[in-house]
Amino acid sequence: MQSSPNMLTKFESKSSRAKGIAFHPKRPWILVSLHSSTIQLWDYRMGTLIDRFEEHDGPVRGIDFHPTQPLFVSGGDDYKIKVWSTQTRRCLFTLNGHLDYVRTVFFHHELPWILSASDDQTIRIWNWQNRSLICTMTGHNHYVMCAQFHPTEDLIASASLDQSVRIWDISGLRKKHSAPTSMSFEDQMARANPNQADMFGNTDAVVKFVLEGHDRGVNWVSFHPSLPLIVSAGDDRLVKLWRMSDTKAWEVDTCRGHFQNASACLFHPHQDLILSAGEDKTIRVWDLNKRTSVQSFKRDTDRFWVIAAHPEINLFAAGHDTGVMVFKLERERPASAIYQNQLFYITKEKHVKSYDFAKNVESPPMLSLRKVGSPWVPPRTVSYNPAERAILVTSPTDGGIYELINLPRDATGAVEPTDSKRGQASSAVFVARNRFAVFTQTNQQVDIKDLSNSTTKSIKAPAGTTDIYFGGTGCLLFITPTSVVLFDIQQKKQLAELAVSGVKYVVWSNDGLYAALLSKHNVTIVTKTLEQVSSLHETIRIKSAAWDDSGVLLYSTLNHVKYSLLNGDNGIIRTLDQTVYLVKVKGRSVYCLDRNAKPRVLDIDPTEYRFKLALVKRNYDEMLQIIKTSSLVGQSIISYLQKKGYPEIALQFVQDPQTRFELALECGNLEVAVEMARELDRPALWSRLGAEALAHGNHQTVEMAYQKQRNFDKLSFLYLSTGDQEKLARMAKIAEHRGDFTSRFQNAIYRGDIEDRVQMFKEADLYPLAYLTAKAHGLTEEAESILEATGLTDDQITLPTIEEPARAPQPFVQTFKSNWPVKAAAHSSFEKALLGEAGAGDEEAAALGFEPEDDDEVVTAQDTLEDEEEDVGGWDMGEEIAVEEDVDFVNVDSAEAGAGSSEADLWARNSPLAADHVAAGSFDTAMQLLNRQVGAVNFKPLKPRFLEVYKASKTYLPATPGLPPLVNFVRRTVDETDSRKVLPIIPKDLETIANADLQEGYAAMRANKLEDGVHMFRAILHSVLVNSVTSEAEVEQAKKIIATAREYILAMSIELERRRIAAENPDDIKRSLELSAYFTIPKLEVAHRQLALMAAMKLAFANKNYSSALSFANRMLANGGSAKLLDQAKKIKAQCERNPQDRIEIEFDQFAEFDICAASYSPIYSGSPSVSDPFTGAKYHEQYKGTVCRISEVTEIGAPASGLRLFVPGQY
Amino acid sequence: MDPFSAEGELINIHNAFHQGQYQEVIDLETSALSPENQLPARTLKLRARVALGQTDQVLSDVNSEEDTPDLSAVKALAQQTTGDADSALKLAQDLAENYPDNGTVQVLCGTVLQAQGQSEDALALLAKHQGNLEAVALIVQIHLQQNRADLALKEVQAAKRWAQDSLLVNIAESWVGMRIGGEKYQSAFYVYEELASAPSTSAPLSIVGQAVAELHLGRLPEAEAALSTALETYPDEVELIANTIVLNVLGGKPTEDLESRLQQLQPSHALLTDIQEKSEFFDTAAAKYSPRVSS
Repeated sequence: MQSSPNMLTKFESKSSRAKGIAFHPKRPWILVSLHSSTIQLWDYRMGTLIDRFEEHDGPVRGIDFHPTQPLFVSGGDDYKIKVWSTQTRRCLFTLNGHLDYVRTVFFHHELPWILSASDDQTIRIWNWQNRSLICTMTGHNHYVMCAQFHPTEDLIASASLDQSVRIWDISGLRKKHSAPTSMSFEDQMARANPNQADMFGNTDAVVKFVLEGHDRGVNWVSFHPSLPLIVSAGDDRLVKLWRMSDTKAWEVDTCRGHFQNASACLFHPHQDLILSAGEDKTIRVWDLNKRTSVQSFKRDTDRFWVIAAHPEINLFAAGHDTGVMVFKLERERPASAIYQNQLFYITKEKHVKSYDFAKNVESPPMLSLRKVGSPWVPPRTVSYNPAERAILVTSPTDGGIYELINLPRDATGAVEPTDSKRGQASSAVFVARNRFAVFTQTNQQVDIKDLSNSTTKSIKAPAGTTDIYFGGTGCLLFITPTSVVLFDIQQKKQLAELAVSGVKYVVWSNDGLYAALLSKHNVTIVTKTLEQVSSLHETIRIKSAAWDDSGVLLYSTLNHVKYSLLNGDNGIIRTLDQTVYLVKVKGRSVYCLDRNAKPRVLDIDPTEYRFKLALVKRNYDEMLQIIKTSSLVGQSIISYLQKKGYPEIALQFVQDPQTRFELALECGNLEVAVEMARELDRPALWSRLGAEALAHGNHQTVEMAYQKQRNFDKLSFLYLSTGDQEKLARMAKIAEHRGDFTSRFQNAIYRGDIEDRVQMFKEADLYPLAYLTAKAHGLTEEAESILEATGLTDDQITLPTIEEPARAPQPFVQTFKSNWPVKAAAHSSFEKALLGEAGAGDEEAAALGFEPEDDDEVVTAQDTLEDEEEDVGGWDMGEEIAVEEDVDFVNVDSAEAGAGSSEADLWARNSPLAADHVAAGSFDTAMQLLNRQVGAVNFKPLKPRFLEVYKASKTYLPATPGLPPLVNFVRRTVDETDSRKVLPIIPKDLETIANADLQEGYAAMRANKLEDGVHMFRAILHSVLVNSVTSEAEVEQAKKIIATAREYILAMSIELERRRIAAENPDDIKRSLELSAYFTIPKLEVAHRQLALMAAMKLAFANKNYSSALSFANRMLANGGSAKLLDQAKKIKAQCERNPQDRIEIEFDQFAEFDICAASYSPIYSGSPSVSDPFTGAKYHEQYKGTVCRISEVTEIGAPASGLRLFVPGQY
Repeated sequence: MDPFSAEGELINIHNAFHQGQYQEVIDLETSALSPENQLPARTLKLRARVALGQTDQVLSDVNSEEDTPDLSAVKALAQQTTGDADSALKLAQDLAENYPDNGTVQVLCGTVLQAQGQSEDALALLAKHQGNLEAVALIVQIHLQQNRADLALKEVQAAKRWAQDSLLVNIAESWVGMRIGGEKYQSAFYVYEELASAPSTSAPLSIVGQAVAELHLGRLPEAEAALSTALETYPDEVELIANTIVLNVLGGKPTEDLESRLQQLQPSHALLTDIQEKSEFFDTAAAKYSPRVSS
């Protein structure tokens, strides 16, 4: 029988026959007891032998870890049970009592008990706390091969060569031992007579059931973790399943298949499966419900003796003649695919689900893949095609199959796919919108298939190919055990090959420029042309990877999430408590699937890699941002910066002066170095600083360093070389003071100071030298006096002939005054950015023409606007302009040639809105509509709007060279294909007008740019006039916008008129006062009305119209607002109240309600006749009827009109 | 075997041409091609030059070889492109009469005829094609220009049956899709995006296609991103400019600069002539209205 492709061996050891196995519940450890008397402790994840325990004599068959304590127990053929500590790795004590081989030992899950089964035909329970035997169960009449506690209840199952399986009730024993403090009489009796029936005939452990059915000895028995089921394996080569109730137990079924003794069996901890191992060298997996063989695994030469399951994770181990193997039954990596913000994945139930990253929600199951592959084999990969909304699933069943399935539009539950295409393949991926590649390993062939599953092309894969991956547009990546090959499908050409061994997964970056090739222990980053960028090695297994949007690779190992930059720099981001498969990285969140195929979000701190990335990209702004906003410190980042050659940046993070000093020296930042050296003040530092400063030519610092070190010789030489005579003299003085003749001599020589030299020689009693020096330099007097002092005469001395002595050189350049201009101190752009940030200040707000006002008033403008109820007459009252349903619609099926009607024509037919006619280029009908709806007569001002709308309606798609581009028509009904419903896009929707244009208009008002303001508001009117909206609510909003624009135009025009009069006819104060009063009437935003009132109040006050001024002041105070304005109003109010009289009588009744005629700027009191404009609703005196509206400049005042239409219900 | 088919040696040059990578077509090394493919390759190179506006070179190149109908057809195309419409039309009509079965003649003369508004003649000539995808594409375009998306769709679907894999058919399907709209916008977008996103196939043609599809899908920011980066690379591509104008109008941005640039580069562009025409139309239409009382 073939070894099953799904069984994944994770670890194998070589040793003598393995008889017992135990998994550690938490750590990746496994204990193996061997026939050779050794117990091994392995780390199966790292594959290392941690320890060996060799205290038993002869084979060790039973072994178990304690579920919570650091203990394990072993039982051997030396009749001994040993309890060990996993911490000290020592045997703690030995339990003696069995009289023959011990077959199995197990800990109780909560009580301090050990259960042992022995060839002495007994089963014993030991208390490992007081190291005593507490119960001996007799009844089997042959070797007891296995005895196990029930996982939750007080039951024991045992298997014996007497061909029976027995179930024991130990509740009596528990009772006896769980309440020792309140020992009743019966208990005392019982305790006094262990293993004897108590007064009522009960014993500690009683046989509850005897299960007979095996024809030979039974080797193993196991309880089901949750169901009342038992499984046993025997020398009759059978695996039997039993069921029990409270009162009875019976055989359910038999699993036949082993052709030699079945040695052990157990239930799968999470799935409905039974696993058994036998001397026929096979491990077999059975379906618990159908009792049919699901898969089997065969070793060539080794008989299996034992099998064990990990209590938590999906791992199994089996012991055989030459060691153990740790394995999984199936891959636990959930198949998944990502498209934009969606993850498509397959759950453990084999349902396809999607997960929205943005909303963080899981969809209900969309599809059931139950029928894809065999029931116990999860799909291996899934590939998603957004264009067709299809998935391509592969499963390893039967040597590999694939299935192409369309996803349902909505997730309505786990429906079975209706229309799917399938075939044989090892792997299958989408390579283009309508193509997928299918790879068959057996014949090493790749077929490119279209969506109807027919092969369009076949490619021979490079020898040894094991897998294929998407390789960028039109390309495939072939994975062979030693290399990866990039292949162009269309040209059928190998583009590149890279030697990387053992690649298992390929993860493309979000921009498609890079790919990460993952193998078991390596990550290789390549460009899309398969050039290697970097590579890194991990000792722990690499599980998955995902790219950050900024091009950082995040990958997960068994226990960490790590990152790698493109240049290979990597580090740990966080640890993991369970294995996950990364699928996407977004900001601080890493999205992943866990082994149960549940989407999970891990929070990470991306600061470190973002910082490193910014560093690599020299993106100093971002670095600065990171430094300012996050606490990025620590030795690691500093040493990283230093190592990478960024000491100047590291300098910014360090506080420790010593480190700062080192860094400053390294980056040549002497200022900081000096500062730090001062702070620390240690000679060694000064000396290093001096050397560095000298190299820089910064001799002032050098001087300081030498001074600090009291290095006089060097100082003198420094002064000599910088030509600092003065200081040199001082050095001479110091030398004299110190009595250091050598130094003094040197200084004298440096300075060319003969007298001092002579003097010094004299002091040192070196008269011949003193005389010679004096003589040679022509200091005759001095020479004489020396002679005199020594009592010699001139002729007694023979002098060598000497030339004219050299003069001490004089400095030409006074270098000491400043440093040499050498090696610019390294102020990196980063530092500059750091330093410069303080300079970036707040910008001054633009100067305002009016008094400044609070900003929040502007913000609330929108709200106030909506609160205002406006009466816009003439709207929506008349009849619709009937656009007759077009009967002779172009017949789409007509096969005859000849031109059809363009989409633009359709638009005009489909819509009664003027805007749609404009977009269609049908300006004449548009004008006709506007004329009927709002009485538009003067279209000239609308021309820019017409052309704008028209311009936005078409795009130009270049097609065949030599011909003009194909003109396509831009729709606002993007999803519509029914030509009777398509409608054009109209630029500047209501939202833009309200949020952008209107605010600009307000800004113009605030800034006192009234002419501009009038233009802006008028443009708004025109934009609304030729437009379309999407709902009735928007129609209301449009009306409000029209009203607002009208009021503002009116107000601004009045004020402009006043300014014109003030300029042209300054004597007409009355009219000025009137206009300024009217300016306060239109319904402006409160803040703006205040401006108008302020202006009116000041003008009235200046002209001694105290009564009017008072009324304006009162209105201002009533409106409220900024304190500054109100103060002024209060002052004026106080002044005016003394004499509330108007000097100039004006036509302005402050108590009456009236409108302002938009043509004459005079009041229209209620009751007096007036006409209004059908579009804007502006009011006029009757004599203006029939003229063009002053506000809109388009419509005719008083014209009959049906009302503007912007919206057709049912049509978007 | 069809030299343009997936297995043929002209596939690359052919695809490059239809992806709008004209310079790549000219630069392609073709000396290694088999003799019978030399002429088609040369024709494609000449057409690429015409597309790049290097008509003078093309005309001098083919002048001495007018006996070859293929090159003669190129000449007609070049004349048409330089604006020598009359000669081009005459030559094209001659060729259409004498060599109606020559594929190059069908396509190029069909182009010339269509450019001169002789759609019926062009279609009649193109109808004689024998599995020539270029002819199919041209037929599709002519149908679309006549606003007969239905016929265009039929043509594409027929072609898909025997040449589903072809780039040209995919592109032509996108043209039709952009007319039909709805879900087809997205399909067309995928075709163009696939071309535009890969540097080996990217060209102004495909970027414009992608951006236009985005625009129709109402995804203005994406369209803007595509167009503005493309404009930096190809500042003189008229279609990029024209569509950017449309986009800017939709986004409420100024278009004057772009319009004057377009005016310089190609005053005859449909957008400009169209707007000019409509502007005049507006004036005449507006003249019919006046207020009852002039103020």
